[in-house]
Amino acid sequence: MHLDLDQLDRDGALRETAAGVPGETRKDFLLGTLAGGGAALAALVLAEPGKAASKTDVDILNYALTLEYLQAAFYTEAERRGALRTPLAKETTRVLGAVERAHVRALRDALGAAAVAKPFFDFGGVTEDEDAFIKTAVAFEDLGTAAYKGQAYRIDSPALLAAAISIHSVEARHAAWIRYLAGAPPASAAFDEPKSMPEVRKLVASTGFIAQKPSTQSKERPRFTG
Amino acid sequence: MVGLVGVVGVVLSLVARGEDGEAAGRSVSLAAAIPATDPLGPPPRHGLAVPRPRALPTRADAVALWAPVLHSVALRETPSASGRVVGRVTVSTPERTENIVLVIGATRARGGLWIPIRAAGAVGWAPRTALGGYEAVATRLLVDTRAFTATLRRTDGVVFRAPIGVGTSAAPTPTGSFFVRNVLTRYRSAFYGPVAFGTSARSTLTDWPAGGFVGIHGTNRPELIPGRISHGCIRMRNEDILALARLMPVGTPVEIM
Repeated sequence: MHLDLDQLDRDGALRETAAGVPGETRKDFLLGTLAGGGAALAALVLAEPGKAASKTDVDILNYALTLEYLQAAFYTEAERRGALRTPLAKETTRVLGAVERAHVRALRDALGAAAVAKPFFDFGGVTEDEDAFIKTAVAFEDLGTAAYKGQAYRIDSPALLAAAISIHSVEARHAAWIRYLAGAPPASAAFDEPKSMPEVRKLVASTGFIAQKPSTQSKERPRFTG
Repeated sequence: MVGLVGVVGVVLSLVARGEDGEAAGRSVSLAAAIPATDPLGPPPRHGLAVPRPRALPTRADAVALWAPVLHSVALRETPSASGRVVGRVTVSTPERTENIVLVIGATRARGGLWIPIRAAGAVGWAPRTALGGYEAVATRLLVDTRAFTATLRRTDGVVFRAPIGVGTSAAPTPTGSFFVRNVLTRYRSAFYGPVAFGTSARSTLTDWPAGGFVGIHGTNRPELIPGRISHGCIRMRNEDILALARLMPVGTPVEIM
């Protein structure tokens, strides 16, 4: 299935917000995160004792975790910066942020030592501008919903599939909520399309929101005043 | 439909509709459409432990935000490109790490977004475009130069306390609000111990090499701690600085009093 940015970013929100983002420190981070490959299997904790998770399931959970990190960081930063003007936007951000952080905790707990690390995010001021924030949130929630849908058929474990569907429907509620806030139709289509990992990766990469973590450690000999 | 009302063992009529919403005239019973027992069994319970959504801490000082400097830029007294210049932030530190600043207030939108920041040696406004992403820290280091103690707090309370050495009366440790901007390890220097944190605080010894910044580091003279023993730096016993290094991330605000 071919999808281009027009289809993924129906409101143009991601491209709009990415346009003003300086990109110097945001190179290629996604290559190592959204792929989710190579994670150890042993640590995954499931509700089915004695059953090891498949590598596919671990990869999918890490992929989901990376997207949840992104959403959680986005709402959390918006709430912390306190730049949203309207009470409804503030309340929506508060509730959605708490839920996305719960998703992060659930996925990280399940993956244990196999969990990917939280990336460093640079939203470039989008969380401090209400209009840009809401447009981006619409795109993120639509994307999150489509990303879960795109993996559901690949999940091996029935218990994990049930968990993914549980999160997927919550993401869909978020999408409707934030679309309502944006003045967009909450549910305009009869059927939603899934998004594949490469499609999601390409779109997230285009925002520049995942950046390289600043290097703040050194082996340089100190020259402090002693 | 009316004739079905009151019949024991409720049966509903489901009317299949065509694409245009018109009734197609075909009806089925609920029992036929939805069996009373599921031959495949109940759906699986999902495989994740579900935590309750938690609100962010409401205390204003519970979390501090820092950001890397992407572009060298002048700090302004007011959130405006025409504001008086009160300092300058650079992209890197004398220790060759990426420079960071502490975000200390709310964003202002005036000809673009402006952020109030604390940098090494200055407090002022910087354009949002000069900074990278925000990172949050929930730690805060309190340095008491009279009691000779350093105390690390997190939102859930004190997590570390140790005796320290501070500057002599000729080179006192500066007091005020600062932050940790880098951490140096694996260098070879018994004098600085195994770990040295660089702070945004500047010593009164302005002619010191590399800008005279105050560090928090170990020592090869642990017997001098606590006391007024340094040129402005905060010295700890090596086991204490190693313990602190496991708890205190870069970006942690440092209050020296």
